[in-house]
Amino acid sequence: MSAPASPPQAQARSKRRPLLSLYSVALTMIVILVLVALAAPLIAPYDPLGQDILQRLKGPSSAHWLGTDQLGRDVLSRIIYGLRSSLSISASAVFVAFLGGSVLGLLAAYYRGWTERIIMRLMDVLFAFPVMLLAIGVIAVMGPGAVPTAAAIAIVYTPIFARLLRGPALVVAESDFVLSARSIGASDLRIILHHILPNLVSVILVQFSLLLSSAILVEASLSFLGLGTQPPTPSLGMMLSEGRNFLFLAPWAAIFSGVAILIVAFALNLFGDALRDDLDPRLRQS
Amino acid sequence: MVFLRRLRGRLIDLAFVIAGVSVLVFGFIRMIPGDAVAIMLGANAEVTPERIAAVRTRLGLDLPIHEQYVAWLSDVLRGDFGVSIWTGKPVIDEIAAHVWPTLQLTLLALATAVILAIPLGILMARLRGRRGEALVQAGSVVGLTVPPFWLGIIMILTLSAVAPGVQMLGYVPFSQDPLGNLARLILPAIALSLPIMANLARLLRSTLLEAMQQDYIRTARAKGVPARRVLYRHALRNALIPFITSVGIMAGYLLGGAIVIEQVFAIPGLGRLILGAIAERNYPLIQATILLVTCSFVFVNFAVDVVYALIDPRISE
Amino acid sequence: MDSLRKSFIASSTALAFGLSVAAHAAPLEVAVDSSPSGLDPHIVTAFSSFQIIDGTIYEGLTALDPDLNIVPGLASAWEISEDKKTYTFTLREGVTFHSGGAMTSADVAASLKRVMDEATGSPLASRLAAIDTIETPDDKTVVVKLTAPSAPLLSSLTTIAIVPAKYAGDTETLQRAPDGTGAFKFVEWQPNVAIRLEANDGYWQDGLPKLEGVNFNIVPEAATRQVGLTSGQYHMLPNTDAVTALQMQSQPNIKLQDTLELAYSLTGLNVTRPPLDNAKVREALNYAINRDDLVQAALFGAGVPGGPLSPALKGFATPTNELACFTPDPEKAKALLAEAGVTTPVELELLVLPRDDTKAMAQVIQQQLAAIGVNLTLDIPEIGQFVQDWRNSEFDMFVSLNSGTIEPDDYFYRTFRTGGSTNVFKYSNPELDALLDAGREETAVEGRRDIYKKVQATLACDGPVLFLAYGQLYTAMREAVEGYQIYPNRSLGSLKSVTLGN
Repeated sequence: MSAPASPPQAQARSKRRPLLSLYSVALTMIVILVLVALAAPLIAPYDPLGQDILQRLKGPSSAHWLGTDQLGRDVLSRIIYGLRSSLSISASAVFVAFLGGSVLGLLAAYYRGWTERIIMRLMDVLFAFPVMLLAIGVIAVMGPGAVPTAAAIAIVYTPIFARLLRGPALVVAESDFVLSARSIGASDLRIILHHILPNLVSVILVQFSLLLSSAILVEASLSFLGLGTQPPTPSLGMMLSEGRNFLFLAPWAAIFSGVAILIVAFALNLFGDALRDDLDPRLRQS
Repeated sequence: MVFLRRLRGRLIDLAFVIAGVSVLVFGFIRMIPGDAVAIMLGANAEVTPERIAAVRTRLGLDLPIHEQYVAWLSDVLRGDFGVSIWTGKPVIDEIAAHVWPTLQLTLLALATAVILAIPLGILMARLRGRRGEALVQAGSVVGLTVPPFWLGIIMILTLSAVAPGVQMLGYVPFSQDPLGNLARLILPAIALSLPIMANLARLLRSTLLEAMQQDYIRTARAKGVPARRVLYRHALRNALIPFITSVGIMAGYLLGGAIVIEQVFAIPGLGRLILGAIAERNYPLIQATILLVTCSFVFVNFAVDVVYALIDPRISE
Repeated sequence: MDSLRKSFIASSTALAFGLSVAAHAAPLEVAVDSSPSGLDPHIVTAFSSFQIIDGTIYEGLTALDPDLNIVPGLASAWEISEDKKTYTFTLREGVTFHSGGAMTSADVAASLKRVMDEATGSPLASRLAAIDTIETPDDKTVVVKLTAPSAPLLSSLTTIAIVPAKYAGDTETLQRAPDGTGAFKFVEWQPNVAIRLEANDGYWQDGLPKLEGVNFNIVPEAATRQVGLTSGQYHMLPNTDAVTALQMQSQPNIKLQDTLELAYSLTGLNVTRPPLDNAKVREALNYAINRDDLVQAALFGAGVPGGPLSPALKGFATPTNELACFTPDPEKAKALLAEAGVTTPVELELLVLPRDDTKAMAQVIQQQLAAIGVNLTLDIPEIGQFVQDWRNSEFDMFVSLNSGTIEPDDYFYRTFRTGGSTNVFKYSNPELDALLDAGREETAVEGRRDIYKKVQATLACDGPVLFLAYGQLYTAMREAVEGYQIYPNRSLGSLKSVTLGN
C-alpha cells in the first residue's frame, strides 16, 4: 500500500514474457464475453423469459444446449442475458466507484491539508467495514434489486480507488513537471486531467479489472442471499440462487451459472493479474 | 521515539474511524424502511397504534434521532449494548452465542489456507520457466475466483451422492463433540479457504522468485550452502511480511464469505445472526453486531500495522 | 506398514465424517425453513409459528382430526342449547400445564378473554366476536353464551389455545417461553438455530408422547434441508412443497405423505387504485389467468385451481367449473378491458411474498397478463417489508399464500367485509356485507350453503382477489418415522404419536 518511489511510467517493463500468453488468453476471453453480453438479443437462441412448462427441468439437449430451468426457460439464453446484467451491474458499479474514488483521491492528493484529512478519514471509515457487511447494510436501506446492488458495490469500492490514486498522485503532484506546469499557470483541473491522471492509467486499469472480477462475485453472493437482482431478470447469481432449489432434479441450472460466474471472474482477474505483472512486478506485493 | 509518535498518530486515526463507524452503523439501521415495531409485534392488522406507541417509547424510538444516538453511545461505552427486541436477552449474549461457529470456521479456513499454500507456493515457484507454469498460474486464478458458496453446494451434493449418511451440516460445539465439530466444519472451511490459499501461494511464489535474484542468496549458493534451505528459510520469512499485512483484508473477506457459506451449511454463526436480525428489524442487535464486528476488524488492522512496524526496520526507523 | 497407515487414515476419516451417524434415536430432528416470529398462540398466526406450537405445545377445547372433523380436545364433551346461544363445555380430567398446576375452568375463561381483549391485539379475536359472557359454575365446567347463534364457534375453538390464567394482560412472556397443556413442553429457543421441545411426562393422554422430544432446526436453504434429510441428519421436513417432494421421492430410506392443503395462493388487488377500481378490469384479469398452467408451472402440477373456498371443504366450495372466469379466455379479457375504457399497455406493480412458490407464480402471472397488455413489474421485498406493505395497502397487486380455515365465515368476514380487519384491498360491497352478516346468524347447514354459494359467486370473478390455486402439501420423512399423520392445515399435532425406529 506504500506509494512507489517514482511514477510508474518511469519503471522498466518486465523482461519476462511468458505471461503474455496468459494475458492474451484473458484479453481474448474478455472480448468474447463482452461481445456475447452486448449481442445477447442476437445470439441467444431463446427468449430468456420465455416459459415453456412442458420443457421444464430438461437436461442438456440439442434444442437446449444447457438444459431448461424450473419454468422451462432456456438456461443458455438466460446465462447469456445473465452475463449481460451481471457485467453491466458490476461494470457500472466499479466505474462509479472509480469516478467517486478518483475524484476524492485526487482532491486529497492535490490540495492536501484539511481536505485530505477529511476525505481520507471518511474513506477509512468506509474501508473499515467488511465488504459484504457494508453491502448488505446498503441493500437493507435501499431494498433489494439491481440498482441497490450496484450502489452497494460502488460504495464499498470507492475508498479503494481513493486510496489507490492518492498515493501515486501525491508523488506526481510533487514531481518537477507538475510543479513547472503550475508555475506557468496551468489550471488545477488541467494539471489533474493532463498530467496526473495519464500517469496512473496502468495502475487504474489493473485495479479496475481486479475489482470488476470481485464485483462479479459480490453481485453473485448478494443475489444468492436473495438481496441482488430480482426475478424475472436473470443475473448469474440469481440463476444460481434459483437453481439451487432444484439440485436433485436438475443440477445444470445451478452448475452452469456457477461455471459462468467462475469464467467471467477468472478472465477479469487473470487479465488484471497479467497486466500487473507485465507493467510492474513490484506492485504485486500490495 | 519515531515508533511511539507513529503509534500515537495511528491511535488518533483509530478513534476517528471507530467514531465514524458508530455514526454510520446507527444511521444505517434507522434508514432501513419498514417500521421495526410493527414488524416485531407480528405485523397483524390487529396491532393497535397505541401498542406500537408504547413499545416505541420503551425502546426510545420516539426520541429525536441525535438523542437516541447519544443515549445508545453512552450505553455502549459503558459496555451495555442493549437487549434484543426479539428475545429480550442482552444483545451481547446473543452475539456471544453466534460468534464461536464463525470464529472457528474462519480460523479453520485460514489455517487450511496457510498449511496448503506453503507447499503450493513452493511448487509454483519451482515450475518457473518450465512447461505447465501458465497452467498453474491460471489454476491459481481459478482458486482466487471460485465462488465459495457455489463450491460448497457442489461439495454437499457430491458428498451426499458418494457417501449418503454422512452428517456434514449444522454445528456442534467442539467441547461437546470434537470430531463431530470438525467433521461439520471441514467442508465449509475448505470452500472458504480456497481464495486465500491461492492468494497466499501466489504471494509466496513471487517472494521466492524475488529472493532468488538477491545477491546474498547468490553468494550463499556460491559458497556452497545448500541453496534450497537458505532460499526457503529466507523467502518464507520475507513472505511473512506481506502476508501479515493482508491478514486484516483477509479477515474481512473471510467474514463476508462466512456469511454466505453459513447459509449453505446451516451453520448458526454471525452470518445467520445478521441476516436474521435485518429481517426482524432488530435494531439493537444489528447495531451491536455490525459495530463489534467492524471494530474488531479495525483493531486487527491496527495490530497488523503495529506488528508490521515492529518487524520491518525500514518503517520503525 | 503402508497398509497400516492407510487403514488408520481410512478409519480416522470415517470417524471424522461419520461420527454422529450412530447417535441415539430420540429426539426427532425436524428441519423447518424459517424462524417463528414468536410463540404466543394468541398473537402469532404465521405458519412458521403455528406448525411449531399447534397441537404440540398447545391445545384448544376442541380439536381437528386429519380429515378436518371437529373432535373433543381439552373439553371432553359439550352441549348446545335449543336456541343455539349457550354452549356448555365439560373439561377433561387430569390436564396440567407445563409450568405446573391443573387446568381449570378459570384458565379456559381467561384464555378466551385474553384473545378477546383488545390490548392483546390477537388476530383471532374476530373468531370469538359472537361471545357475550363466559361463566365458570365449577372447576370443570365452562358456559359460553353468545349474542347470536354462531355456527363457526366450535371450529374456531380448535384454534384458541388454552394457557394458564396468569398470562392475562401479559403479551410478552409466552412469545418467548410458551406454556401449554400439550404433549411436548418448551425447553429452549436459540434464535435462528433451533427450538427444542421435550416430552411432557404429565400429559393427559396415557402413553403419549412416544418421542423423547422434538428439535425444530431452522434451516433456510432448501438444498441443505434436503441433503440433511437424505443423510439422516434430519428425520422430517414437514409441510413442504412439490419441488421438495419430487426431489425426495426417489431417494432411498425416505417416504412422503401428502394432502390437499387449506392454504391457497391468491392475487390481491387494491381496488382504490385505477384501473383496478373497475370491476370489468378485475374480471378481465381473471379471464387472462390460466390457472391450470399456473398449477403446472409454479406448483409442478401438485395442486388444483381453486375458487374462494378450498375444494377440501366439500360441502361448501363451489366447483370451479361453475365459475365462468376459471375458463381462461384472453380474447374476452381484452374485450373487457376495452369495454372498461382502458388503453393498453397498463403498467402495474406486483408485490410478491418472498417464497419460492409465490415467486414462481408471480413470474407466470406476469407472462400471462402480458398477453392482454397488462405489464407487471415484480417487487419482491423481504418478509418484514412485504407484511408492512400488505397491511398498509401499499400495493397495486400482490401475490401471496394465505392460510385457509375450515370455516367460511372466519375467512370471508374479516377479509372481504367493508372495514374487515384483513380487508387490505379496501373492498366494499354492501350486497356482500349483507350476505356475510346473514351467514353468521344462519345455523342451518342448508341455509349456510346457499348464502356462501352466493358469497363465492360475488367474489369469484370481479371481486378484489384473483383466486388461484390450492397446493398439495407434503411431508418428507425417514422411513424410520412411524405414526405421523399430515394435516391440511399444517398442524404437527400428530407428532405426539410418532415413534422413531432405527
